Amino acid sequence: MNVIEINNLTKTYGNARGITDLSFHVEEGEIFGFIGPNGAGKSTTIRTILSLIYPTGGSAKIFGKDCIDFAPEIAKEIGYLPSEVFYYDNMKVIDLLKYSASFYKKDCKKRMNELVEIMDLDITKKIDDLSLGNKKKVGIVQGLLHEPKLIILDEPTSGLDPLMQQRFFDLLLEENKKGATILFSSHILSEVQRLCDRVAIIKEGKIVTVEKISNLKENNYKKIKIETRNAVDRDYFNITGVNDLTFKDSTISFLFRGDINTVLKKIAEVDITNLWIEEPDLEEIFMHYYEKED
Amino acid sequence: MNIYFHELKAYKNSTLIWTFSLIALVILFMSMFPSISRDVEVFKELMEGFPEAVRKALGLEIESFGTILGFYSYIFLYVTLFGAIQAMNIGTSIISKEVRDKTADFLLTKPVSRSKILTSKLMAALTTLIFTNVVYVVAASVIVSQVKTEAYSMKIFLMITLTLFFVQLIFLALGIIISVIVPKIKSVLTVSLGTVFTFYIIGLLTSTTGDESKRYLSPFQYFDTGYIIKNSSFETSFLLVGVGIVSVSLVTSYIIYTKKDIQAV
Repeated sequence: MNVIEINNLTKTYGNARGITDLSFHVEEGEIFGFIGPNGAGKSTTIRTILSLIYPTGGSAKIFGKDCIDFAPEIAKEIGYLPSEVFYYDNMKVIDLLKYSASFYKKDCKKRMNELVEIMDLDITKKIDDLSLGNKKKVGIVQGLLHEPKLIILDEPTSGLDPLMQQRFFDLLLEENKKGATILFSSHILSEVQRLCDRVAIIKEGKIVTVEKISNLKENNYKKIKIETRNAVDRDYFNITGVNDLTFKDSTISFLFRGDINTVLKKIAEVDITNLWIEEPDLEEIFMHYYEKED
Repeated sequence: MNIYFHELKAYKNSTLIWTFSLIALVILFMSMFPSISRDVEVFKELMEGFPEAVRKALGLEIESFGTILGFYSYIFLYVTLFGAIQAMNIGTSIISKEVRDKTADFLLTKPVSRSKILTSKLMAALTTLIFTNVVYVVAASVIVSQVKTEAYSMKIFLMITLTLFFVQLIFLALGIIISVIVPKIKSVLTVSLGTVFTFYIIGLLTSTTGDESKRYLSPFQYFDTGYIIKNSSFETSFLLVGVGIVSVSLVTSYIIYTKKDIQAV
C-alpha cells in the first residue's frame, strides 16, 4: 500500500518557481528520503501534502485519501517536524506538549513522558528560554507523542548536536520498526544515506529520479580514473552510462553506470599508464543531478 | 475546545487591562458629574461660545449636558473609542499572531479544520468582549447611580451602553478580515490604532456636516445616543448596516482563510 501518492503535483507562485508535475509515491513502512539543494521545492512539496498550501495542479493522496479534502482526518496520523520550529513563546514546554496532545483523541501522556526522557528535555522551562537545539527537541516530542503512522520531517537535524542526532535517528528507526512510514527531507546526503531505503532526488521543482539507496550506492556506479600516455579524443569515452566526464592533463575521470565490460573494452584499446576503479561517494553521484543542465 | 481555551488564556491579561481601563475612564469622567451639574448654567454658557461645528464634532449637546444620561453619552464617545481599539486589536491578532509568531505550521498541521480554528478563535474573542462588556456595564451602572442627581431611565442607560458591544463587534470583524487579507502584519497596534482613529476622525468630520447619509461612513456614528435618549430605540437602518458589515466581513474571512496558502517562514 502507498502511504503517500503524489500525482503530477504542481504549485506555482506567480512567476517564481514552485514545483512542476511532481509524481512519486512512498510505500507503507519505508523510510523515504527526499533530497535536493536548497530551493529545489522540498518544502513546497511537503507543505502541499500537509495542505498548508494548495496545489495549482495535480493531486496528492495520503493513506489513500485526498490530502486537501481530508486534511483534518489525515492529520490525526501524521507527525510533522518543520525545519524551523516556533512555538508559543510564553508557554512552558509541558503546557505546549499538553496543548499539542489535546488535539489527538487518545492518551498521549505515556509516550510523551518516554520521549521527553529520551530527548533529555527540561519540561518546566519556558519555550522562550530554550536554545535552538532544545526547541527542536520540543518539536520532535510534539511531533511524535501521538505515535503517528506517517512521520514527515523537513530538514529535521539542524540545531541538534551529534549525540541528539543519533538519539533522534534511533528513535525514528524504532518508530519505523513499529510500523511508521517516514518521509525525510534533507539536503544533507549522509543523513539520508544512513536512514533511508529509497530516495527521490528533486531539482528545480522536478523529480530527477527515484532510486533505492542501495542501488545508487553499491551496484551501479563506478568511479573510473585513467591516465593515458597519449591524448585521447574527447568523444572517445562519451558513451552511454558515462557521467561527469572530465579531462585534466593526461587524466580522464568519469562515473560509469551500466555493463562494466563495455567500458573496460574501451579502456583496453587505449594506451594507459594508470587506472583506478572506485566506489563513488553518494555525494559524487548526486552532484551531477544537482548541477544545472544548460 | 482546546483552541478556545488556549486563546482565552492568551487574551487574559490584555482583556483585564482593557476592561479596567474602560472602568477607570468612566469613573474618572462620571465623578466630575456632580460638580458639573451644579454649575451647569456656567458650562452651557461656555459651550455656547464654541462654534456649532466644534460642538457637534465633540458630541456636546447643550440641552442634555446637565442631565446624567446626556453627560454619560458625551463621555461614552471615548469609552467606545477605547473599546473599538480593544476589539480591533483582538480581531487583528487572531490570525496574524500565528503568522508573526510562526506558529501557524504547528496549529494547521493538527487534525482540525481551518474553519474550526477560526471559529474557536472567534468564540474566544467574543467571550473576552462579552466579559469586558458585562464587567463594564456593572461598574458603569454602579457609578452612574452613585453620582446621579435625578432619576434616569435604566433602560436607556443600558441601551446606550449596549452600543459599546455593537461597535466592538464591527471593529472585531474588520480586524479579522484585515488579518486574513494582509499577508503579514508586523504590528497589530499600528493597524488597529490607524483604522480606529481613521474612522473616528471620519466620524468627527461627518458629524459637523449634519448630512445623515454620511453617517454610514463611520461605525462611530451608527448609534446616535441623542436618538436613543429621545426615542428609546436604535436606528434600524444603521443597525442593519452594522449587521451587514459584520456578516460580510466574517463570511469573507472564512472563505479566504480556508483557501489561503500558509507560507513558510
